[in-house]
Amino acid sequence: MKNSIKVERAIKNITQAQLAKLVGVSRQTINAIDLGKYNLSTTLSLKIAHVFEKNVNDIFQLEKSDWEKS
Amino acid sequence: MKTNYLLPNQCKKIGWFLFIPGFILGILQLIFEFKFDWLNIKVFAIYDPYFSFANNGITSHNLFFHITKTNALDEILGLLLIIGSIFIALSKEKSEDEFISKIRLESLVWATYVNYAILALAILFVFNISFYYVMIFNMFTLLIFFIIRFNWMIYKLKKSIKNEE
Repeated sequence: MKNSIKVERAIKNITQAQLAKLVGVSRQTINAIDLGKYNLSTTLSLKIAHVFEKNVNDIFQLEKSDWEKS
Repeated sequence: MKTNYLLPNQCKKIGWFLFIPGFILGILQLIFEFKFDWLNIKVFAIYDPYFSFANNGITSHNLFFHITKTNALDEILGLLLIIGSIFIALSKEKSEDEFISKIRLESLVWATYVNYAILALAILFVFNISFYYVMIFNMFTLLIFFIIRFNWMIYKLKKSIKNEE
């Protein structure tokens, strides 16, 4: 799954730490999502979209590899 | 998502306070096999078998729900280690969230693999009384492996973030 959190953070001018605080997770978690290392939950993706005042689809997109069997 | 199967964060400190003396005394006790006489007490036993060749004859009994005597040191050390490591392993992190939960699960699976791989090797290659010591260690190593691996992963994450700043 791709995401544009880095871009959205730049637009809103907020750091990883600030975003982490706004959605109630640790700084490590936002960092891991930024790097694409962690597939976040629906609740957290909705919260992040809420902070950026966008739809979840605008921030998170499926990739081809998401359709492959794990 | 709320997790209700973990202990509060403060329990972690209590865990270390119980675990460290239990661990040090436990290792020393295994090496030097000392006992404190004042810990000889009467205890209630669900099952109390006894077998001896003393006094040129065999004495034995097989008693259930019986009051017997024991030295309580190993009971105390065992409980210190179990309660201590449960408290350390299963207390929430200061910022417990879904990503930490994932690392927690991965570490528990990893610790289970490592613990039983070592036990399997010990079953194959360790014999007689030595295997008794393997079993003593194996009572506690699953959680100890988990604690090491989980904290190592958290440490690595924190460090990688510091490097970015």
